[in-house]
Amino acid sequence: MNMKIKDLMENIDDFFDLSKKKQKNKRDKLKKMIKSLEDKKEDLKQVIRKEANRDKKSKICYNLCKEFKAVNKLLKKAKKRNS
Amino acid sequence: MLKRVISPLLFLVFAWFIVTSSDAKIIIAGIAVFLIGMHYMENGFKLFSGGALETILEKFTSTTPKAIGTGFLATAVVQSSSLVSVIVISFLSAELISLTSAVGVVFGSNIGTTATAWLVSAFGLKIKIAHYALPMLIFGVIMGFSRANVYKGLGSILIGLGFIFLGIAYMKEGFETMKEGLDLAEYAMEGYLGVFVYILFGAIATVVIQSSSATMAIIITALSTGQIDYINALSLAIGANVGTTVTAVLGAIASNKNGKRLAVAHFVFNIITGITAVALIYQLKDLVDILAPMLGIAETDDAMKLALFHTIFNVLGVVIVAPFVKPLVRFLETLFRDKHMGRGQPKYLTAEVMEIPASALEALRKETIHLYDKSLEAIVHAMNLHRDKIYSDTDIEVVIEKSTDKIEINIDKVYQEDLKNLYSAIIKYSSMSQSHLDEEGNRRVYELRLTARNIIEMVKDVRELQKNLNHYKKIKHNHMINEYNKLRAELITNLREIQIIREFDGEESEILTQIEILKEKSLDNERIINKDIDSLIRDNIIEPKMASSLINDVGFTHSICKKLLNSAVTLWIKDFQIQELGDEYED
Repeated sequence: MNMKIKDLMENIDDFFDLSKKKQKNKRDKLKKMIKSLEDKKEDLKQVIRKEANRDKKSKICYNLCKEFKAVNKLLKKAKKRNS
Repeated sequence: MLKRVISPLLFLVFAWFIVTSSDAKIIIAGIAVFLIGMHYMENGFKLFSGGALETILEKFTSTTPKAIGTGFLATAVVQSSSLVSVIVISFLSAELISLTSAVGVVFGSNIGTTATAWLVSAFGLKIKIAHYALPMLIFGVIMGFSRANVYKGLGSILIGLGFIFLGIAYMKEGFETMKEGLDLAEYAMEGYLGVFVYILFGAIATVVIQSSSATMAIIITALSTGQIDYINALSLAIGANVGTTVTAVLGAIASNKNGKRLAVAHFVFNIITGITAVALIYQLKDLVDILAPMLGIAETDDAMKLALFHTIFNVLGVVIVAPFVKPLVRFLETLFRDKHMGRGQPKYLTAEVMEIPASALEALRKETIHLYDKSLEAIVHAMNLHRDKIYSDTDIEVVIEKSTDKIEINIDKVYQEDLKNLYSAIIKYSSMSQSHLDEEGNRRVYELRLTARNIIEMVKDVRELQKNLNHYKKIKHNHMINEYNKLRAELITNLREIQIIREFDGEESEILTQIEILKEKSLDNERIINKDIDSLIRDNIIEPKMASSLINDVGFTHSICKKLLNSAVTLWIKDFQIQELGDEYED
């Protein structure tokens, strides 16, 4: 009897599962982050290209490249989590 | 000592009542069942709210009116001022809310407790609630089998309500049958003598039962069965309010300074409210008679009129005391001063903060920041640097040039006297908190514990660095001093950036990006410094023995910088999803 009630409750839990809603929110947030990182990566690409044309070895160019690398690393991690 | 004498005495008195009077037995059983119900309701709300109650109490208490409103709503919904008090004391200890807000919540909570009187008088006496109690108990128990805390909590609330209804039904039945043999109304007393005698009865009953809500339930059921006179019931209600202050003060004796401050605030509020209610009892009674018809309460419905009286005099108390919250807070802060903490004593971790998951996590975070700040002081001093120079606008090279004097600091002593206790407290409380937390909370605690360990490791790393730094300074080896200055410069760069991150108020994903950039730059610097060392060796400027020390110290510096940056992720990024993205071990 006890088990049957437990089974019943598990079914009800699955039906109203709040953790699924939480997970969906998390996934949505991650997708938003991926989108924002991708946009940032594209923007940085453009800026680096312009800056490299001016002076490839400038400090600005170096800093931008580091930022690009950091954004790319985070983007990879976020995409891995999303898959 | 007093408790050791009074408790057995009370036990004997109750036993005597139960043995000699079957009616008293039913009433006392009713009170017991009612109290069990309150206990279930309290626990149920803890589970059901899933942290929502804590969030509300944390977010909506920025001004005194907001705090009063939140305290009122939270207590009215949860039906437990003690649960609200526990949360508030816990938040206060973790510095999640201010003392002014906490006092406001306590005031509001006093109005919120009057909801029980409305519940009992409106539902408990009007309908045959015992019929509803049994299905509530059945469904409550079934829901208790659920895996989800929300349903478990809802089940507990249903069980709680079921027991409360059953308790009221028992009390009512007891008073009704008692009336056939003994009419307590015969002992009704008129005038102010009656007022004071019944206030005393109400206060004693509340102190004994330890719940003003249960006392109010007894008063209302006794009043509805005609066992007590209406004006005496009003006095008993005032007495119940006064009685809670004794309960609160007794409970605060063993509490921390925050618990004591709130207990005194509660005491001041209830005493002022009690005095006002006694002074104006007949005027308030007339006011109830005027307001009752407007609220649809029948002239003969004394139980609901009592509930209205209870609410009115508590609201009146808030109106009188609320303008003086700030002076009251100043008085409380003077009365219970912050004790001067001994060296290495935790500032935030106390038994009280562990009661509530949100404050336990916040207190652990703040204590880890405390450990971080203390450790950083030791680290920068070991590198012969001063924090005021590090965090100034001065150019890093100038700071390095000017910071040439050796700073006397014994890292081992600092660790033993200042840091070890703090670190141990973090370990102890993080273990204690795990049983109260959900999966994500436990992961956060794990991260904080790991961060605390990293901070201690940074201190141990700098011990080696300090020896060599001071040695080459002493023998005035300029090339080596120059290389060590590069390491000091890197430390300053990272510390300055972390300070900006600490004060940053924007998107947390920006913080994470910034930290990743710093990690990348730090890796580059390590490569550049190692190249420089290679050329120094090739040019015979430094001996291989010196080079080995330097290479090790480059490793220590980069290990410190990396740990600093990882600590920043855990300590200053609150969003766990973003925090996890910065996880070092996930690539």
